[in-house]
Amino acid sequence: MIDFLCTVQEGCIPENMREELESAIEKTSISILGSAKGPFSISWSEIPRDFGFRGGKPTTTSHVRGQIPDGCDSETRERLMKEIGERWYDITGQTEDELIVAARDEGWKGNTITIS
Amino acid sequence: MPLYRCIIPKDSLDYDQRQEIAEAFTNVHCGISAAPRSFVHVWFIESGDGDRVKDSHGDGFLDYKTDYYIAGGNRAGRPPEVRQEILVGLIEKFCEISGVDSKDVSGHISEGPASWTMEAGHVLPEPGEEPAEWYEHATIPG
Repeated sequence: MIDFLCTVQEGCIPENMREELESAIEKTSISILGSAKGPFSISWSEIPRDFGFRGGKPTTTSHVRGQIPDGCDSETRERLMKEIGERWYDITGQTEDELIVAARDEGWKGNTITIS
Repeated sequence: MPLYRCIIPKDSLDYDQRQEIAEAFTNVHCGISAAPRSFVHVWFIESGDGDRVKDSHGDGFLDYKTDYYIAGGNRAGRPPEVRQEILVGLIEKFCEISGVDSKDVSGHISEGPASWTMEAGHVLPEPGEEPAEWYEHATIPG
């Protein structure tokens, strides 16, 4: 399964742009990873204005974070992230510095430490 | 990366507090790690009764029992005691600035391989392997 979550800052990515972005991310993912790695899903989250910060200052940065099937080699993963980035810049007009793309293995446990 | 998400009750922190916490988290993280300041992302997510916050681990949602929760995501490769030091520092600063009692705040830091994230058009370097040009991003706004 390929599952992406796009988190954007309020006012930065208009609603009417999102369908095109979804289609671009899906096509890029299927093209690079193969249709057998699907199904594909994508969802959106919006951080309200003045609730997102970068380096301590309000941010416009978008995050496109995906989970992909385990076992992807590093070259393929890098190509996936870069091509998603290129499509995102083309469609949104955001710059390289305003986008983070991640593609992690779906089986990754996170090696988490907790304070409860 | 890093990304720190602060799950907070609705209307519990005003803008000045959020900005001060974001600045303090940046100081804590950059004081311990080698990351440029502009790579530290902090989000505040207001949550009401019954709301569930999506997460990429476990059953797909954050699982916490305190009113306030800090969910961190870092590059893999730092010793557990360093991650623990970062998390303790974040919670201390959060409580100091917000006035929230520490018993009402919990948190976690999970990590993923650096090569699984692209930022500013480049795949992230492993901790300790940052090239000099990486720090040019220290002054990037946004």
